Amino acid sequence: MDLINLSDIYKIYNVGGEEVRALDGVDLTINSNEYLAIMGPSGSGKSTMMNMIGCLDTPSSGIYHFEGEEVHIMDDAQLASIRNRKIGFVFQTFNLLPKASALHNVEIPLVYANIKKEKRIEMASKALKDVGLEDRMHHKPNELSGGQRQRVAIARALVNNPSIILADEPTGNLDSKSGHEIMGIFDHLHSKGNTIILVTHEDDIAKHAKRTIRLFDGKIVEDNKGK
Amino acid sequence: MVSLFFENLKISLGAVFANKTRSILTALGIVIGVLSVTLMGTLISGLDRSFESSMSWLGKDILYISRYEWFSDMDWWEVRNRPRMRPDYVDKIRQRSKYALAVCPVMQRGASLSYEDKETRTEIFGTNEDYMETISTDIDEGRFFTESEDRAGSRVTVIGYGIKEAFFGDKNPIGKYIKIDNVRFRVIGVLEKQGKFLGLFSVDKQAVLPLGAFKRIFSKRGWMRLSVKVPEDKISEGLDEISGIMRIIRKLKPSEKNDFAINQTKAFETQYNRLKIAIGGTGFFITLLSLVVGGIGIMNIMFVTVKERTREIGVRKAIGATNGMILSQFLMEAVTICLFAGLVGLLFAYVSSIFINKIFPSTLPIGLSIFSVMMSMVVGVVSGFIPAYKASKLDPIDSLRYE
Repeated sequence: MDLINLSDIYKIYNVGGEEVRALDGVDLTINSNEYLAIMGPSGSGKSTMMNMIGCLDTPSSGIYHFEGEEVHIMDDAQLASIRNRKIGFVFQTFNLLPKASALHNVEIPLVYANIKKEKRIEMASKALKDVGLEDRMHHKPNELSGGQRQRVAIARALVNNPSIILADEPTGNLDSKSGHEIMGIFDHLHSKGNTIILVTHEDDIAKHAKRTIRLFDGKIVEDNKGK
Repeated sequence: MVSLFFENLKISLGAVFANKTRSILTALGIVIGVLSVTLMGTLISGLDRSFESSMSWLGKDILYISRYEWFSDMDWWEVRNRPRMRPDYVDKIRQRSKYALAVCPVMQRGASLSYEDKETRTEIFGTNEDYMETISTDIDEGRFFTESEDRAGSRVTVIGYGIKEAFFGDKNPIGKYIKIDNVRFRVIGVLEKQGKFLGLFSVDKQAVLPLGAFKRIFSKRGWMRLSVKVPEDKISEGLDEISGIMRIIRKLKPSEKNDFAINQTKAFETQYNRLKIAIGGTGFFITLLSLVVGGIGIMNIMFVTVKERTREIGVRKAIGATNGMILSQFLMEAVTICLFAGLVGLLFAYVSSIFINKIFPSTLPIGLSIFSVMMSMVVGVVSGFIPAYKASKLDPIDSLRYE
């Protein structure tokens, strides 16, 4: 079974009486353990695509199956649940909670999954260890470097054992060295069997992926699996 | 859901303590609200207490017959023209009434009491042997005077506990002679310690003499009232009967109005309850006002908080928080501020009540304290709901992009 199956997806916004087709009839299948980069200039529908795959948004029309679940007909609560169980987000700006320690930040998805405290700490510690931050668990984000913060964010994305990790310009706010480290982590996660979807406009970053999709005006114009 | 609750609690506490000044200012309205409602309760409890002890001195089952009503808007001249009470009414009432258990005349005036070199001014009462039946006080030492002593006009007196302490200290006063306005009286008994009546005058500073002696020595035509004790379960029947008897004594025609008044402690209660409603009403109004103002403050600050933390809301939603979870988080934050405010208000109220208690015996009512804290939490829920609802309905994509 396909992991993700988007079929004839449209997302149409009405901006000032004008119809904007952010996604204009997209078909896409993603399998387990793929390493995919979604590329495109701004306004190409890249972000909308990411929101769609990440179940933050629902299509105006079309069918979206995520591991057999019909995402296109889900309500807010069901979407929240599928995000919690199956998707790990990594954002460009890290989006950690500033007042919480690294460990607590990583724990939050587990709180929403209603997992008990001891189990939470165990899982969160393991995730932080996987990204090499076992000695920074009790530091707050402002006591960590940019690269370290992004690693906390990756740990947070990983902690629920999601089906996919969805990273939106994960190195956009980092220097090239830290960016390199972060990409190393993604490569490593992929080698361990994780499915990773990168959204980026940088070719260097996209190069890490095994498959590249280019979007333009809401349409897939290139799907390069041949790497 | 337990883990979510603790997570929310942690977030709330974090938010409240991260913005200390803001939280304190926001909470002030609720603090004042809780303070005013609990202090009002304290005040009423104190009034209740002193009222009750005063009322027990008067006695619920006693009818007080005199020229004037205790609480009335009658014109003074009308009251003044009513005939006086007379001592012979006592026997007339005793003969006719089947409810009267005890009937006694009471005359009262100020007098100077002295023993050796000690002197004090106080109230003296002239009455008969039934007097003890009509007051709730008992004899502490010695005895009360008898009917024959009354009829003979014997110069004997029963003194209040305060007089005994002032004149005799620990010594036995029985059989000693004291002077009342320079006339020698033999002390035959001491009344139990009582306390103050409505906090106004001390009941313990009194001397009771037989009416015969009182009239002969001090006042032939003084002001008099009658106290009639009736069975506790037959008060209204007793009232009707005594009223009828008084009308016969006064030879009133059916068309004529009563030219006397029969008072009960109930009149005090009615008057007191009016006072209580006035105090309670004022307190309630102040409380309501400060809670509304406080609630608006909370709502306002919660809107600001939601705005400030839009991005956080987006992140939380992205990693799996449902609308309900976000709603409960912000609702809890509002309730936490209000709960703190309530507890602070209660703490202030408690400290104040300790001081108040020193001047005016009263206690902070526990039920009302719990109620006021609950009420502040309700304010939190009510005023936090709209901001929290707004937070819960935020679109995760827009929130994540919010700068």
